Amino acid sequence: MIEMFHVYKAYPGDPPVLTDINLRVEKGEFLFLTGPSGAGKTTLLKLIFCAEEATRGQILVGGRNVARIRESAIPFLRRNIGVVFQDFKLLPHRTVEDNVALALDVLGVPRLQARERVRGMLKRVGLEHKADVLPLKLSGGEQQRVVLARALVNEPTLLLADEPTGNLDPVRTLEIMDLLRDVNVRGTTVLVATHDSTLLSRYQKRTVRLEAGHIVSDEDGVKAARRMVGA
Amino acid sequence: MSALAKAASAWRSTAEGVRHAPFVHAIAVVTLTIALFTAGLARGADALIQSLLASLGGEVRVTVYLEEGLPEEDAETLRRGLEQRVGGAATLVTPTDALERLGRELPEVRGLLVSLEDNPLPPSVELAVPEGRRTPEALRALAMEARRLPGVTDVEWGEEAVARLSAIARVLRLGGAVAFAVVLLATVTIVAATLQLSIYARREEIEIQKLVGATDRFVRVPFVLEGLLQGLLGGALASAGLLAFSRSAGPHLAQLLAFLVEGGVAPALLTPRLVMELLLGGALLGLMGSLLAVRRFLRA
Repeated sequence: MIEMFHVYKAYPGDPPVLTDINLRVEKGEFLFLTGPSGAGKTTLLKLIFCAEEATRGQILVGGRNVARIRESAIPFLRRNIGVVFQDFKLLPHRTVEDNVALALDVLGVPRLQARERVRGMLKRVGLEHKADVLPLKLSGGEQQRVVLARALVNEPTLLLADEPTGNLDPVRTLEIMDLLRDVNVRGTTVLVATHDSTLLSRYQKRTVRLEAGHIVSDEDGVKAARRMVGA
Repeated sequence: MSALAKAASAWRSTAEGVRHAPFVHAIAVVTLTIALFTAGLARGADALIQSLLASLGGEVRVTVYLEEGLPEEDAETLRRGLEQRVGGAATLVTPTDALERLGRELPEVRGLLVSLEDNPLPPSVELAVPEGRRTPEALRALAMEARRLPGVTDVEWGEEAVARLSAIARVLRLGGAVAFAVVLLATVTIVAATLQLSIYARREEIEIQKLVGATDRFVRVPFVLEGLLQGLLGGALASAGLLAFSRSAGPHLAQLLAFLVEGGVAPALLTPRLVMELLLGGALLGLMGSLLAVRRFLRA
């Protein structure tokens, strides 16, 4: 699903954010990307959905080289990638339903059909009764579930989540993580960037650790969880 | 189906944009209205000036003097030839007619004229030159051509007056074009700036749209529609303003210019054609402003 070959990312005048990243993520895989703040987790995700451009190296997403993609082709790539942000990125003046429908609007899905799909997705994340509510009236966990619904409503093959539980309490964190696991079970490849070690030990998934822009370990779930417990 | 859904989405987004920042849109509409009202007024003034020039230009007559004693048939042949060449009315003025006219125009010397034994005035042909041929160059060429005709002794055509009128018309047209260009540039800039404020107010929405796979065109269309609507509204308001202006000031203007304008009637300030031009001009200005603003934003 994702292949990265000798990927570098640097900003002029600053030390490199990512250095010689080589990574392969299989289709249908669930992967944690972990490391301290500033390790380069967010940048790595941004490279995958073309919010940033790699300084060097090749990145294949679904067989397509996004390091050389034309700007006009980026929207079409993003339609196959759902993205969940720590800061939600919801429109405060639009209802929950409108926020989720945004992902279908850009595809030109007719309003009635979109409404049906949105309602179905809200039901899946347990928010069908909040469709007409404004996001600011929701709790952090509910807002993150709206974001998840928006990311999944057009059935992407890849879901990227950047610290999706960073602003949530432990109960809401588990709600979101269970939803992500459920999405993965249904066949979507999921990449979750997090620095929360309790999630790694609880969910026991393949974990790639970044430090100062380098991959320092790439372990399967059990091994990573064992190390977390040991630590 | 998809295109229809996208169009519906664009209209919803446009309505949302207007609802989101009504003040910004009001500024753009007011700017467009003022610019279009001024342009409409300028067009009205231009029509008035053209009417005045035509009226004054109508006084320009080319008089072709013929040889004394030229037989009337020959004079008539000359008149017909000149009429064909000029494309306007050509009137043969016999020496008797000329003397009578002089008597009418100068009643104080009528007695003196009656006492003359011989009529000293030559026969002539008076040419009414059509509007399109009243330029100094065309009139000069016509005079030279007429002078070469057998039986013609001289041609008079008020060269200085025609040259002055033409120069005035040229300056007015040039001034109008420069003023129009300045107004156009200022309006597009202001509309682009106000729309940029509107875009800035919705930058978060645009960012999210782009993250979920919106193309530049998808982002652009609602703003272009906003610009178009602003332009049409500006054009409609400017037309209404011109109508109000012409109703209140029109009769006074007509009275003021009655003695100058041909037929005593000033041309209408607002015509259906001008309304169409204002609407079209508004739409174009709005479109240009919005395209400029969105392009700047998307590039940034």
